[in-house]
Parts: sequence; C-alpha cells; structure tokens
Amino acid sequence: MIIKTANLNLYYDKFQALKNVNLSIKENLITGIIGPSGCGKSTLLRVFNRMNDLIKNVKITGSILIDKKDIYSPVYDLILLRKNVGMVFQRPNAFPISIFDNVAYGPRVWGISDKKTLIEIVERSLAAVDLFDSIKDRLKDSALSLSAEKKQRLCIARLLAVEPQILLMDEPCSALDPIATGKIEELMIELKKKYTIIIVTHNMQQAARIADDVGFMLLGELIEFASAKKIFTNPLDKRTFEYISGRFG
Amino acid sequence: MDRHFDEELHKVKKDLLEMASLVEESITKSLEALKKQDIKMASEIQEIDHQIDKFEIAIEEQCIELIARHQPVGADLRFLIGVIKMNNDLERMGDHAVNIASYITYLIEQPRIKSVSNIWSMAREVKEMLNDSVKSFMDNDATRAQKVCERDSVVDEMRDETIRILLTYMLEQPETIGSAIPLLLVAKNLERIADLSTNICEDVIYIAQARVIKHHAEEKEK
Repeated sequence: MIIKTANLNLYYDKFQALKNVNLSIKENLITGIIGPSGCGKSTLLRVFNRMNDLIKNVKITGSILIDKKDIYSPVYDLILLRKNVGMVFQRPNAFPISIFDNVAYGPRVWGISDKKTLIEIVERSLAAVDLFDSIKDRLKDSALSLSAEKKQRLCIARLLAVEPQILLMDEPCSALDPIATGKIEELMIELKKKYTIIIVTHNMQQAARIADDVGFMLLGELIEFASAKKIFTNPLDKRTFEYISGRFG
Repeated sequence: MDRHFDEELHKVKKDLLEMASLVEESITKSLEALKKQDIKMASEIQEIDHQIDKFEIAIEEQCIELIARHQPVGADLRFLIGVIKMNNDLERMGDHAVNIASYITYLIEQPRIKSVSNIWSMAREVKEMLNDSVKSFMDNDATRAQKVCERDSVVDEMRDETIRILLTYMLEQPETIGSAIPLLLVAKNLERIADLSTNICEDVIYIAQARVIKHHAEEKEK
C-alpha cells in the first residue's frame, strides 16, 4: 500500500466534505475515483498532497499515510510531499514561458542549475510523455503554442521532471476531444509502470477503461472500493450500480 | 419513470420469453407427433423453427445494439451477455425438436417397438427442466435455476437406461433395429435439450448473482 487513509474526515467550516473515508491505494496501479458532482472526490484527491491547506477553515481528522508516514504530521516536509505527489488539473495549465522552461521549472526550484543536467531532465521527461520527438526543435517556443493535448502532456512531463512517486489527476481529459483523451489514457497506462496514479473522473467509461481499482463516492462517503472489474460487473452496493448505470437520482 | 434503456431491456426479455415459448411448443409438438407418428403434425415443426430463427437474429441484433449504444455495466451487462448465450441455446433446442420430428419418417416405415415408456418419462423430465429454466429466467430466480442444474444427471441416467432397453431390443429382435436407431437418436436429442436447459440456468445464476457455476468453476477456485 502506498497510500492509506483511516477514519478520514474533512470539514470546510461546518460543512463535512469527507466522512470517515478508509481506503488503501496500491502502488503502480491506476485508481479511479468516481461519483456525482460535489461528492468529495476532488477534495479527497487534494488531501493526498495537502492542497486543501490552501483553503481557509479546513479541518481534517483521521490519518493519511503515504509510505507509512503521516503526511499531516507537523514534522512532515510539505515541500517534499508536493514534489513526491504531483497533480494534473482539468485544464492544462502550461506556464506562459518556453516549453523547455516549463519542464525545467521544478528541477530549478530544487536547485539544479547545471545546463547539461537540465537538458537531460527535460529530454527524458518529454520523452516519457511521448512528446519529445514531435517538439524537439521547438523547445524554445512558448508552451502556449501547443495543442490542448500536448499542453496536458507537457504538464505531466513537468511533474515527472521532479521524479514524483504519485500522480494525482483531477479530470485530466475533460478539456480534451476523444482522440486526445485516448492518447492521454494510453500515456497513463504506460506511466503506471513507474508511478502510482489516482484519477478523479466524471467519465465512467474512462474509469472502466483504464482504472485497476475504483472508488465510488457519494455525499462525502466512500460507498464502495474494489477492482474495476468488480465495480463494473458486479458492484455490491445498490447506489454504486445506480450511479454507474446512469440510474442515479 | 423507466428510462428508455430499461424499456429496451424489458423488450429483450419479452422477446426471449416469446422465443422460449415457441421452443417449448416445438418440442412438445415434435414429441406428440412422434408418439402419434403423425407426419402432418411433424411438418408444422419446421414452420415454428423458422419463427424461432427469426427471433434469434432479432434478439442478437437488439443485444449488440444495446451494448454498443449504452455500454451497460453491472447487472445490465450480465443480463445482456446472458441473453446472447440463452438465445443461442434456445435456437439449438429448436433444431433438436426439428431433428426429433424428422425421425418420424423412418419410424413409420418400421415395425413398432412395443414398450419404450422410458423415452416418454425422459421427455416429460426434459420438458419440465426447460419449463423451469424459462421460469427461472423470467423471475430472475437463481434458486430454481440451481435445482434445474441438479436434475441434469437424472436425464443422463434416463438416457443410459433408454439406450440399454433399445440395445436389448436390437440384440434380441434384430427386426427392431430400424425403429430402435431413430429412438436412440431421439433420446440423444432429448438429453441435449436437457443440457441446454442447464446452460440457460447457469446463465440465470450468472445474471442474478454474478456467479459462474459451469464446469464447477467455483469449486476449482477454492
């Protein structure tokens, strides 16, 4: 287990967004989190790299262990956590600088200034997302000139440059067309060999296609967590079936 | 209010049940024609089989379209996969009824074998199994389906007994060989119908409980 939560509760002021969530996420798998809007799936995702810390009046109880260490412990190195647990967002948020500088951004923050090392990191990261060959002659161009799919690949490459262990993906394909979505999905399957991926998606078929394990959330509760095969062929909870079959509500 | 998809699933179930009742009619008629050696009645089986074949194609097309357009999951997916398999099995049963009816032509030309009551009790058992398998599908009743599966060995024993009786006839009264062989084939076809009823029940259990019981799969997993 790479991530383990126990009795996890999260409150925004008096509103309880996560209710007693207990789950175990396995290494080198894609774990899909599904559920209707407002069910707490993005909140849960943001717990894993403490992005919720940036929101006012958030209170968390219970424990979240990554590699058996409590990430909310006062002695836990937050900067190291953010390096170790990268995040990809709904809209590809490429920085308005060159493609090279986008990927080199993280390593530079971590103090790497040697040009040769930076070039190596940038090339390796872009190659890992299958982007290097198509843009190797345009590394000095603005990242904003790339297509939406390539921008999303670039954002993933930017994470890989700091060698994380876990990739959090919050609806990474919702701004992409079906062909671009297919390519990012293929990339995710490729990336899970080296990284642990947790993806929040509204697209049930996407979870069915690529996830190994799937968690279904409703009103802040983790209703069911099982293998994708189990969830999509024989879910135990009636609410899970109603949601995945579109009968929900 | 039911969703459009639920209405479509309901229609598939209705069509499969209608097809099953045609199969039951076809088997009943073929056995009756056999008993009465009624060629005219036997010829009606062919017409019923055409209707069964049309149902098979229509149901298969409906299932493929629903899978392609709705990408069903969970119980809906199991239902459609189960229906595709049952559709096949029912169509095969219709063919067995045609086979049984076709043997009447041979039997009419041969001296009658006096006592083969065993074949009629076997036919009764097989018809009951089919009837119960259809009911178990209609009511999504895994318990009833399980009981049908357990009856398959009874039919196997009845077939073996029928073969023994007919062999004795053939050995002791070689003039009955011409009648005994078609009756042996009737027994074989009846036994296959029982096997296919068992298959249907295995699919009912899969649809209702997501359990795979064929080939003793559960026992092997343990």
